[in-house]
Amino acid sequence: MAENLAMPKSWNVETKPHKFCPGCGHGLVLKVLGEVIDELGIQDRMVFGVDIGCSLLAWDFFNVDTVQTHHGRTNPVMVGIKRANPDLLPIAYMGDGGGYAIGSQHLVNSAFRNEKIMAIVVNNVNYGMTGGQMSPTTLPGQKTETSPYGRDPEETGNPTLGPEMVAAIASPGAYVARATVSNMKQLKRYMKKAVENLIAGNGFSFLEVISSCPTNWRTNAKQTWAFMEEDMAKYFKTGELRTPDESKEG
Amino acid sequence: MAEKPIQEEKKVFMTGNEVIAWAALAAGADIMYGYPITPQNEIMHYWTRLAPKYGKKFLQTEDELSAGFTTLGGVLAGRKSFSATAGPGTTLFQEPLSMAEMMRIPAVVIIQQRGGPSTATVIYSQQEVNMVTYGGNGEGWRVVYSTATHQELYDYTIKSFNTAWKYRFPTFVLGDGYQAKMREPLVMYNPEDRGIEMVDPVASVGLPGIPGKDRSAVHLRNTYSVEEELYDATMPIQEDYDRMAKEVVEWDERNIDDADVVIISHGVVSRAAIAAMNRLRDKGIKVGYFRPITLRPFPDEQLRKVAEKCSNFVLVESALGQLARLVKAALFNMPIEKFDAVYKPGVGITAEELVERIENALK
Amino acid sequence: MRHLEAYVGEYASGKSENAINRALSLADKGQPVSLVDLDLVEPFYTLRPLIKELEALGLDVVAWETKDTMGLGEAGCILKPEMRWVLKRPGHVILDVGYGVSGSNIFNLLEGFDTSELKILAVLNVARPMTSNVEDIIHYLTGFTRLDGLINNSHLGDETDLEIIRKGADIVTEVGNQLGIPVVATSVDERFRDVLGEKDHHGNPVRYLKRYMERAFW
Repeated sequence: MAENLAMPKSWNVETKPHKFCPGCGHGLVLKVLGEVIDELGIQDRMVFGVDIGCSLLAWDFFNVDTVQTHHGRTNPVMVGIKRANPDLLPIAYMGDGGGYAIGSQHLVNSAFRNEKIMAIVVNNVNYGMTGGQMSPTTLPGQKTETSPYGRDPEETGNPTLGPEMVAAIASPGAYVARATVSNMKQLKRYMKKAVENLIAGNGFSFLEVISSCPTNWRTNAKQTWAFMEEDMAKYFKTGELRTPDESKEG
Repeated sequence: MAEKPIQEEKKVFMTGNEVIAWAALAAGADIMYGYPITPQNEIMHYWTRLAPKYGKKFLQTEDELSAGFTTLGGVLAGRKSFSATAGPGTTLFQEPLSMAEMMRIPAVVIIQQRGGPSTATVIYSQQEVNMVTYGGNGEGWRVVYSTATHQELYDYTIKSFNTAWKYRFPTFVLGDGYQAKMREPLVMYNPEDRGIEMVDPVASVGLPGIPGKDRSAVHLRNTYSVEEELYDATMPIQEDYDRMAKEVVEWDERNIDDADVVIISHGVVSRAAIAAMNRLRDKGIKVGYFRPITLRPFPDEQLRKVAEKCSNFVLVESALGQLARLVKAALFNMPIEKFDAVYKPGVGITAEELVERIENALK
Repeated sequence: MRHLEAYVGEYASGKSENAINRALSLADKGQPVSLVDLDLVEPFYTLRPLIKELEALGLDVVAWETKDTMGLGEAGCILKPEMRWVLKRPGHVILDVGYGVSGSNIFNLLEGFDTSELKILAVLNVARPMTSNVEDIIHYLTGFTRLDGLINNSHLGDETDLEIIRKGADIVTEVGNQLGIPVVATSVDERFRDVLGEKDHHGNPVRYLKRYMERAFW
């Protein structure tokens, strides 16, 4: 778990405790992001964009200028900000539905154009806020409200491999990695490198984070952890897929 | 870097799309975001030719959703941002524009109407009135200027930036494919030289200082948890809109006082309507004319005053009753002598056919 | 002698009007003339509404017809196959070339364009802000690797006056001197016939234009 138990300075204490469910991975991702904001001193230059879905609960999470947008549209809003004022550091924050379904064309084209923004996709293999429907990353056989007999890849395809897709189309200077909330040290390293790449303006920075949704998975703490570390880990390999200097970890 | 794009007032000869690119420059626009669609393409073509000379920017996006949302991003960053689209692109723009309405983001969007529904023609229509005035899942909190001449395209493109940034509602210039491609003379000018004060853009994010230390962080949202919270958020916007409406509403009316018939039209069709009025007047037929310039907010009171004097109307539009819907809503509950309508969806209307129609009706 | 002429220029420079009038003046002499709408940007906009009228006046018009364009949806960038071979036709060939940043690269699409017979003529209107002075016109013309003549077609539509025509002649003549390209003509609406005579004040021949394009909606 988190090494540092103190709240990051960039967190907005007035909105804590936050509104995410017990056991939800969002809090861990935002903890790490907060630490990186503090360590790199970007609170005054960063613009945080949050999608619709559970990610919108982060709309007042930080003492950072934040815009909550529409479902799937956080990437283009952040792109618009960066293009208009390149001094700012926009970070788009979304779930697997926003990133890989409704907003996939924006993700793909932001990567193609090597937009100098950062995008974080928190992957919990379902649509959490709308009540646990199948998402692009739902595992084969996984039961959700819209795949009540388990996801059948013959009918609905296989789980989207976001970082692999982005890495395949990214340009030199891009940073692409997958981390998991079950390995906080690695998550912190990748988060920091992604934000550093954003600051350097090398290219598109993309981080997927494997995360948990016990409320919709209907799992207890032990089952939640087992699902992430065993079932999800089979499909979603952590590691760096693209780095600006092409030295990869993982 | 070149100096001001327009050094002094001068008469020029151009197509409408070019006029818009020049007007956006004159208005001090900083960045255009766009996606190709006919008949607005030359706005992008000329903007991309002109922009680098004056330190302006352009981004070609992956679709109109992205064009709309990147435009909103540009506005949030404090830059005068605009886009242009048409037809199916206008459909996609409703999503970003509804966010602009809710979050008071002063985006400027030029619409060059083409035939509809669906892909239809790339040429001409007035069928985007419904969508531009009341599209999106909201209450139509936008300003829509419907232009008729190249001079108006120039004037209202400049004005749209000021209206948007002064009142913080998204603002449309509603043209069409004919206006886009037609060529005619107009006078280009620097708005400041004519005493028009341009409203400076203001950044919503990325303000100076460390949030939480030197200042509060900016937290913008369009999501609300409960009905009452939403109600409390929306009603002040409606009040602002109503207050603004009185200040921005614009219309043109001619020869109403002695009129036996009043032609109602908007946009480029007004050229045929005015020509028909003049020809009929020459023949001794007392024809008047009313044209809403702002379709949102609509000049309701002004039209009702006209109807008190003469309510024998001939409404003409290149659509199947989209302007008529706005007009009928404005005239609700008034006694109307006659309401004749000429609907030609996606087809141009000439003065000759209007003259004939009105002459026959009076026989 | 047969004339192969291509009229190039910005939107609203008057290239279509010049091309039509030139083609008709050649047809008046009873010779076969092909008028080609080579506007790739908006192929359905330019000559289409005038095809029947021009054919009745004796021209062979190579342009898209509305019925041929069904299903092409976005009025896109489409070359009519017969346009590719049009320079091989007998008789005079007058090309009305659309605007665009590709400049004279458009001629790469035509078989046999490199013939010395082909004259590429730039139509210039100084009432257009991007071609309103010597410097801007020279910058604009650098997009054309080859030009054989300039035409001063400076006008303001219905509001044209002698001042703008003369100003155009001054500027275009100066451009011609600097680039070493002849000014082929000053072209003006026929209503100036009684005022201007055979030559403008720089000695450039005057071509009088009957206006056809106004019958299109734009």
